[in-house]
Amino acid sequence: MGVTVLQQYPVPEHKTGTYVIELLTKRILALGATQQGQFLVDCESYLSLPQMGSTKTVHILHNSEQPASVFSILESGTKNIHVIADGLFDLLMMKLSQHYTSKKQTKIESKGPRFELGDFCVKFGSVTMNQNFKGILIEVEYRPCVMANAVWGLLREFLQGLLGPSITVQPPQHLLSRMNEIYAPIDTIYQYLEHFSAYRKVTGLRSA
Amino acid sequence: MNQTINVDQLNSALTSLRTLRLSVSHVFETLANGLRADHGEDGKEKFLLELQELLTNVNINLRDLEQTVTGLPIPTAPFNLGNTTYLSQETTQERQGLYTQLVNSYKWTDKIHEYSSFAHSLLSQNSLKRSYINSGSTKRRGKLQSTHNVSPLQVDNVINNIDRSYNDMKITISRPYASNAVVQINLSHVLKAVVAFKGLLMEWVMVRGYNETLELWTESRHHVFRKVTENAHAAMLHFYSPTLPELAVRSFMTWLHSYVNLFSEPCKKCGCHLHHTSLLPPAWRDFRTLEPFHDECKQ
Repeated sequence: MGVTVLQQYPVPEHKTGTYVIELLTKRILALGATQQGQFLVDCESYLSLPQMGSTKTVHILHNSEQPASVFSILESGTKNIHVIADGLFDLLMMKLSQHYTSKKQTKIESKGPRFELGDFCVKFGSVTMNQNFKGILIEVEYRPCVMANAVWGLLREFLQGLLGPSITVQPPQHLLSRMNEIYAPIDTIYQYLEHFSAYRKVTGLRSA
Repeated sequence: MNQTINVDQLNSALTSLRTLRLSVSHVFETLANGLRADHGEDGKEKFLLELQELLTNVNINLRDLEQTVTGLPIPTAPFNLGNTTYLSQETTQERQGLYTQLVNSYKWTDKIHEYSSFAHSLLSQNSLKRSYINSGSTKRRGKLQSTHNVSPLQVDNVINNIDRSYNDMKITISRPYASNAVVQINLSHVLKAVVAFKGLLMEWVMVRGYNETLELWTESRHHVFRKVTENAHAAMLHFYSPTLPELAVRSFMTWLHSYVNLFSEPCKKCGCHLHHTSLLPPAWRDFRTLEPFHDECKQ
């Protein structure tokens, strides 16, 4: 597991998401990448019932890169607590339905093609919430390196080269505090959650 | 230097001892044969004369021997033959010749060592090397010690000394096969390397990623570490110096330590992190300045 950066890519007016992803696909294939299947990251959120005191939110995420794991993040005020569990955790959440209710209409996912280019792994995901297109998320992983601090300059150079100079590349908010730590799969999940939460707040719908 | 034995003197003493033995055996031979046909009529007289002559010969030879022996220096202490003394306790017939074979092979290796050191000094004057020549190290041909047959303790000392001089490079020694060391190097959170030693000479290097398991024979799955392994082999050969093995190991480790900024330092020539065709970070380090370059950017 190498350092991963998640980057939002704007969809211009009068253009569809599929068109932009096709454009990016052509670009990365021209650089010499090979397509290695598809990927999917999804997120479902549960709200605690009022009789348990203050409302808490539990986000359940799956990542096709770690197919045997379920990631859950509990939002409780200022602190986020995460638990990484087996696939059985999904069934456990169903059992807990009398304490936590699922907000079905906010189920959000990012899916699309996955490419390998040298030591990089690049994924172009189109984000949909309830079949409604929301935007494009680009995930870039540099697999040999495990420290964000050391590899950030290199990743920025790669992203700038791939996405063009019009996009400003900033280190993700979540990574800023963990620049000198060893990167773990949960760090990717936190980045997805960050972006998903932002997309949920945006009300405007776009055509896919 | 009274301790060293004069070989010429010893040789002449041995020859005179041999002639003495020969003349004595002559006497006994003549005595055993007794009167022969060629002694003729008064064979008794002639026989006695011949015997007398032979005995004077013995006398002369004995005096010779005594003279050369008194000329020899007296050894102060008994000779220390090391482990070879145990060879004398060998009882089986066919193994008693081992000592001579041992001495012969010792002479051979001694000669080879001498010739090869001459050859080394001659070859190092001609610049056959294609990279920089570290002329300083080749001049000092002081003590000639073997470098592939060093005690494990000495190897441990050298490597532990290097380990102590770096904070972010952890070196651990293991000996999975007999006495030769296999050294694992953890360089910060960047890479892991494993180096196989033969005595104090490096024989094999393999570089792999921080999140990979260390193996001596399998290459890393990341392109960048395969490139670094390739360059580490070049460096191992470049720093190779059988006359000063400790320096070679130390230089190699210094060079390897410069990879601590493998991902964070851009290439000194093109100023970029990634090369536009290979998409690799600068995986080459200059041998002298330790500056990072792309493989394609170094001249």
